[in-house]
Amino acid sequence: MSFAELQAPPEAVVQASAALDALDDAFVTGFGRLSSGNLEALASLQRSFAATPLAAAFAEAITGIGRSEFLDRHFLVLAAARSAIQGAVHDALVAQASAALGRPTPADEAIAGGHGQAAPPQAEVLLESARQWLMELALAGFANLDVDVILPFQATLDAIEEEPRLAREAALLAGLLGELLAVFPCRGAPEIPRMRWVDLWSRAMILAAGAPATRASRAVKGELRILGADLQQHDTFATLVVYASLHEAGQAAPRLCRASVSSFKVDVVQGAELGPIFAEVGKVLLSGLAVGGRILLDGMLLQEGGDLLWDDAKAELIGKGDPLAEAAAVLGAATPAQRPTLAPADRHPALIGELVYLAEGSYTVAGKGEPALTIDGANVAVAVERWPESEGLVVSDLAGSKGLVGLLRYDGGAWSIQPLTIAKGKAAPRMLASEIAAALGKKSSSSSLSTLKERAGKLLRKKR
Amino acid sequence: MIKPRSLARPRKVNKVPFVELYAGRLQGVVSSGSDPNRVYVSYFEAQSGNFYCSTNNNRPCGGLRGSPCKHLLALLDEALLQYGAARVVAYMGLGIEPEKVKRGGDLQRAMKGGPHKVEAGMVFSRFLTYLHYVNLPPTSAPIPEMGWFVR
Ligand SMILES: [Zn+2]
Repeated sequence: MSFAELQAPPEAVVQASAALDALDDAFVTGFGRLSSGNLEALASLQRSFAATPLAAAFAEAITGIGRSEFLDRHFLVLAAARSAIQGAVHDALVAQASAALGRPTPADEAIAGGHGQAAPPQAEVLLESARQWLMELALAGFANLDVDVILPFQATLDAIEEEPRLAREAALLAGLLGELLAVFPCRGAPEIPRMRWVDLWSRAMILAAGAPATRASRAVKGELRILGADLQQHDTFATLVVYASLHEAGQAAPRLCRASVSSFKVDVVQGAELGPIFAEVGKVLLSGLAVGGRILLDGMLLQEGGDLLWDDAKAELIGKGDPLAEAAAVLGAATPAQRPTLAPADRHPALIGELVYLAEGSYTVAGKGEPALTIDGANVAVAVERWPESEGLVVSDLAGSKGLVGLLRYDGGAWSIQPLTIAKGKAAPRMLASEIAAALGKKSSSSSLSTLKERAGKLLRKKR
Repeated sequence: MIKPRSLARPRKVNKVPFVELYAGRLQGVVSSGSDPNRVYVSYFEAQSGNFYCSTNNNRPCGGLRGSPCKHLLALLDEALLQYGAARVVAYMGLGIEPEKVKRGGDLQRAMKGGPHKVEAGMVFSRFLTYLHYVNLPPTSAPIPEMGWFVR
């Protein structure tokens, strides 16, 4: 394991960032008012796709946009091109990380099946309207947005949120809309997270091209040992991702996998109040997280990319575990290639999360305001920006820690480590988001959620 | 690129079930102190500081006499809890120092507007949109996109 190799990203990644930068300028200016500089940047990007399957569509899109022929399919091509670049960057980074950590690059499991599914007709109408709105944002440009362009989309979004098969698009669009509304209306120059908004825009456009193919899956039987969890959320949606090893019956070596529970929510619902919502689909998973536990799976579906499709009926908590000891065993020299991946169309550097284990004594904690770890003489930043507000694990837990499980992350041109589970010697390990699980048993009758549900019951009934 | 977004802070929702900064307004819904089935719909407009308060059936609030009623003041208090003074002061375009804002009244003194009637439905429909989020079912399907939304 050599973190020194991760001090600089691969050269190809640096070059790709420059190409993205030129494209992102056009999204800030707006495709309805491109400068000659923007047009040159687009033409240059088009040339770099000359030998790819996107070449013809890209040429048509650039010509079309140049003629002010604004069609959503032209913008879909731009999103696809941008995602292809980000996908290649992702692959180069994962290869770099795997080499530095001395492990094989992660591989999808070969499972037969998996297929594209046409969206139901009603969903197709919604997706078309999403593509139309995303095109309007691109035409106006992020620097020139006005609430008149943003607000009318809310009705479509409400409908997308009601369609379970569009959950990914709904979670993403709700987050993007919330961010736009936090900045606009704006007096003076708006503060725009350029690359981020174009990333979100591109992903939303691609998801709006059609519901993604269902990944192939198979039923598994064996023991799941929880290593740690991450909590991701914006004002109206939250996702708990649990990382674990899976010891299957009849398999010599364990594999690594991921399980998640997600829900829409409102801004005032946070922390422990998320527990009862997540528990509706993942009570056993949460109970396991609360004790860093071991869970028996029987018939649970595992997708080719390492995601378990959680089903409480196929899971049984069998007891407490030892996440740090398990991490030492499965994330050391014999780290399996079978660990979570992203589907090819989903690959993006911001979504990389490579599980790592740092043994006691292999690192020291440095840095006062911005904590960092020194590992084998190399300095690795702690991804505090990804640290959710969680009572289960706080930044001060790092000091004097006796080993940790974390995710190797990449953002802003550098690698960093996001701790998930931290050993504290004799005391139980501290685990991110464990407080959500621990609060499950203590149901408070005066929670904001129950108050709002009661209101919703009265008012929505009256209205409809 | 990851950009941690400061989440609105949790607060008690009994008295003010809903408050938001939206489309150039600070708006929300305030429970009636006397009738559990009645709510007041209240708003302040950014920049102008104009305000209004009525029941959800468009009946003007009796407490509104040229200056903000107790519902509007409750709305300001909760907005401070949820968003923090800096964000509210900036959003409403108030020329005051956020550090000096301790409660809703401090904001109200900095607002220059007067009563300006709007249809309660405009704000109330936002409240219904908000409530629909608590009725949507959770899922265990992977949502990789949430990796962009940290905190
Ligand atoms: Zn009133």
